[in-house]
Amino acid sequence: MQRQQWLLALIIGLVIAAIVILIQLPLQLGLDLRGGAQLTIQVKPTAEVTTIRPEDLTAVKTVIENRVNALGVSEPLVQTVGGDKVLVQLPGVTDPEQAERVLGGTAQLEFRQQKQGTEGQFTAEYTIQRQMQLELEQLRKNQSDPNNQKRIAELQESLKKSNDAILNLFDPIGLTGKNLKNAVPSPTQGTNWDVALRFDADGGNKFAELTKNLAGTGRSLGIFLDNSLISAPVVGPEFAATGITGGSAVITGNFTAETANDLAVQLRGGSLPFPVEVAENRTVGATLGQDSIRRSIYAGVSGLALVLVFMAIYYRLPGLIADISLIIYALLCLACFALVGVTMTLPGIAGFILSIGMAVDANVLIFERTREEIKAGKSLYRSVESGFYRAFSSILDGNVTTLIACAVLFWLGSGLVKGFALTLGIGVLVSMFTAITCSRTFLLLTVLNLPGLRQKPELFSPTLKG
Amino acid sequence: MKFSVTKQRTFWWTISGLAIFVSLVAMIISYSTIKAPLRPNLDFVGGTRLQLELACAEQNNCSKPLTTDEVQNILSEQGLGNSSVQIIDNYTLSIRTQTLDVEQRTKLQTALNEKIGQFDPETIQIDTVGPTVGRELFRSGLLALVLSFFGIIVYLSFRFQFDYAFFAIVALFHDVVITAGVFAILGLVANVEVDSLFLVSLLTIIGFSVNDTVVIYDRVRENFALTPDLSVSEVIDNAVNQTLGRSINTTLTALLPLFAIFLFGGTTLKFFALALIIGFAAGAYSSIFIASTLLAWWRERQQKTEIIKEM
Repeated sequence: MQRQQWLLALIIGLVIAAIVILIQLPLQLGLDLRGGAQLTIQVKPTAEVTTIRPEDLTAVKTVIENRVNALGVSEPLVQTVGGDKVLVQLPGVTDPEQAERVLGGTAQLEFRQQKQGTEGQFTAEYTIQRQMQLELEQLRKNQSDPNNQKRIAELQESLKKSNDAILNLFDPIGLTGKNLKNAVPSPTQGTNWDVALRFDADGGNKFAELTKNLAGTGRSLGIFLDNSLISAPVVGPEFAATGITGGSAVITGNFTAETANDLAVQLRGGSLPFPVEVAENRTVGATLGQDSIRRSIYAGVSGLALVLVFMAIYYRLPGLIADISLIIYALLCLACFALVGVTMTLPGIAGFILSIGMAVDANVLIFERTREEIKAGKSLYRSVESGFYRAFSSILDGNVTTLIACAVLFWLGSGLVKGFALTLGIGVLVSMFTAITCSRTFLLLTVLNLPGLRQKPELFSPTLKG
Repeated sequence: MKFSVTKQRTFWWTISGLAIFVSLVAMIISYSTIKAPLRPNLDFVGGTRLQLELACAEQNNCSKPLTTDEVQNILSEQGLGNSSVQIIDNYTLSIRTQTLDVEQRTKLQTALNEKIGQFDPETIQIDTVGPTVGRELFRSGLLALVLSFFGIIVYLSFRFQFDYAFFAIVALFHDVVITAGVFAILGLVANVEVDSLFLVSLLTIIGFSVNDTVVIYDRVRENFALTPDLSVSEVIDNAVNQTLGRSINTTLTALLPLFAIFLFGGTTLKFFALALIIGFAAGAYSSIFIASTLLAWWRERQQKTEIIKEM
């Protein structure tokens, strides 16, 4: 009795916590529900470089992030998938044409030489551009604000113009990412960091020529990734005679470990020869997504209602108790999704709705057992207890097999399939808790607190008469 | 009331045998006509699917329903004559073509907007899958299927004796083959395609329908210990009877929400729900009538050989 009251308090506590979580942390919706474009970008090995190492993929991802940021989409998501793919999610984009054009194609890293007589113009343009980038970064932290979104769009537009203007201040000299062998951050004194560059033989010569021309002039060496400037170091006067020779160079500046690494990754990404191509495109319009949400809610609610009615009619009092457990189950499950950060997709919702039907399974097993025990002449209390006890091994076996299938799906599946596996898997785990704890506590409390019930076993099974 | 599954076992076996035979024949016919046992969606073979809805909020835009001919003409002009076109609810267009790159797709979209009418960008759906990605999706899907079969065999042989595990797997094959067979027939007569969600549904069927079998086997094992004097058939008949209500009810409670998804869930989930409905129903049947009777047959044969050996 004492134990049941503790459990009841625990259950009530969990339900309150679940409601608070659901209010505080709304469920994340996948692009198939809120509309948007999801592009899978395949990184292809070339004849010279036949394998893509994990660090190469990270570098390619950086390049793609740069390109995505230039698109001006709010809350984009870029992540690597498997060994050779990058997944890009662009919420709200229903016309992915521009994105597809921009995201495909090999990264283009270029070292350029600043034109003579453009010093003033460049400094002015570069300062403005840096300010805009800083503001943009600030605004991106709070993207959902509509005012911010408008400003972000404006900034993107001006940045694009500013990029083109800057590009025109530099002359190409034929030194590109192909010539760059490596770029790594390296520590100097204290907390200061540099970025060290290494070129191939041809690149080393071109770089020496470039630095010789620029040394001591105050003009910059422009490093461009996909035509936008990522760094503009100047070359010291001491290199005026020969340029920086030997194929190695160091970019110094106020780098921290992090900023040095960022630049190095961008440089490496730009030096990779891998062509990338959009291998998969899944785009869903926002209205279509809302329609799917509406349909899923109908399906979920009517599915739940059907199960509730069936249980109440067939199992009477225990059925009603199972119904309460089932509603608690649905709440706890959704709260778990919010906590774990499950992104709800259409298959994910299907997994959840299906798990409602499957969550009842444990209750059915237990109640069938309880009925048998009552028929065998045991007292109500003992029947309930042994019903739970004896059904447990079947419940465990059944759920473990479903979890095996979920684990395999989660491990091998792609995005949508993973969502289904995750929701069904979480559902099965939560259902074991609610069936064993909630139903049992409620049932025992009812049987113990309402002694009148014990004379009415027909409440437990319509075919039994007291 | 008690009924004996083991007595009519030839009858149950014939029903299942027929269903499996029809399924296999459907897959063979399908293979000889479209070179695949089931009609594959672009998820597995690559391709582009465009779904566009006319913007009916605009004036005079939806004066007449769309026709496949006008769309086919535009497709032929762009060298995409071998594409398939479907009109849904008069004003929605679904086009399935070979894999289109961004240039080709934009050209097609522009032509459709110019020649047919304004399409609403908010209700668009574009799916493009490159052929290599399709092959990968297919391979990993099949691998998932094989691995979960394997995982379940290992788990069951650990929990039960090996013969139980073996017959549980036979019952699972039965469910998967019949579900696939129904979709092979649907693919032949109604052009229904199977996508990655179909593979997911097969895996879910495996995970769920083994439940029923496990519950019955659990009871069989318990009854062998409780009533060692009864014959194998009697023990198994008892176990099936004792668990029958549960088997039917759990399948019913799982089917109810699936029917809800099938009716209200929209096109993406409709056939997913249908596959699960067929699989779960087949799963309940195979657990009650096939897994149990096969086990009874096998154990009886074993006993006979043991008795002969003893003599």
